[in-house]
Amino acid sequence: MAVVPNMPKSWRVETKPHKFCPGCGHGLVLKALGEAIDELEIQERVVFGCDIGCSLLSWDFFNCDSVQTHHGRTTPVVTGVKRARPDRICIAYMGDGGGYAIGAQHLVNSAARNERITAILVNNCNYGMTGGQMAPTTLPGMKTQTSPYGRDTETMGYPTQGPEMVAAIAREGAYVARGTVANVRRLKRYIKSALQNQIDGKGFSFVEALSGCPTNWSTNAQKTWEFIEKEMPQYFKVGEIKTPGKKEE
Amino acid sequence: MTTNAYKMKQVETTKSVFTIFTGLCKGCGLCIEKCPTKTLHWSEALGVYGTPSVEPKENDNCTACGMCALVCPDCAIVIERKK
Repeated sequence: MAVVPNMPKSWRVETKPHKFCPGCGHGLVLKALGEAIDELEIQERVVFGCDIGCSLLSWDFFNCDSVQTHHGRTTPVVTGVKRARPDRICIAYMGDGGGYAIGAQHLVNSAARNERITAILVNNCNYGMTGGQMAPTTLPGMKTQTSPYGRDTETMGYPTQGPEMVAAIAREGAYVARGTVANVRRLKRYIKSALQNQIDGKGFSFVEALSGCPTNWSTNAQKTWEFIEKEMPQYFKVGEIKTPGKKEE
Repeated sequence: MTTNAYKMKQVETTKSVFTIFTGLCKGCGLCIEKCPTKTLHWSEALGVYGTPSVEPKENDNCTACGMCALVCPDCAIVIERKK
């Protein structure tokens, strides 16, 4: 038998190679998501919503119903779909700009209302598509196009810690976790638990994935891994932050 | 276009058959850094963007752990363990 690429079944093969830059973490997050969809056998029921920014390049990524929304409005659009069709599995896929900057109010309010949707947010510490400007998640002292002397926490504040913020607001039944592309297996487990939480109808599920942006960080493969594995987890702690039925520490 | 249409290259090592789909490989190099035995290196075969793709050293100590396939964002690597 001829060897074929080992892609998740839910991927749309005609659109591959996908549109993300070489080394982009989005490919890994979407691989984990695709495998989780395969394992739960929910491909027919998934509605996939993607945001503006680099994450919109996933609009033709899956062989699922997909919708591409306005910037930051993925969460409310997907919430609407879920309310109209409660039998669907609704996934909101966004970047840190769409989730923590322009779309922060939607993310926070959806969490407060405990909507039965799954939000997946890819955190790469900058605005990738527009050329690497400073984002809410840019690390203190990190140089970007709009913070050439490094992020000064006096004037620009500290990075947003999204999962902690969502976990503080969300009610019992919510699932909140932070994974990293440096550990794809663990990230897949988190995404699978988040989807399972929605299938069980317990509440809001949110997974943030730490990811790399070699194009805008101007790093080679070695420095990309170094940044994802050593620098980012110092500020963004990886792990499950809130799980249903488990007491908070 | 079907999956079989991607250009590919196969390299045999002592324990595994390494397949790189050069029609999918973008040459990011993430797999080279993650390889625990450091057997992967840049290949003469060019990837989809005209950048070098990767291959293991021939008859070298590839243990078929599959780490490169796991971290490939484009699913361009398939590893088969030799029986």
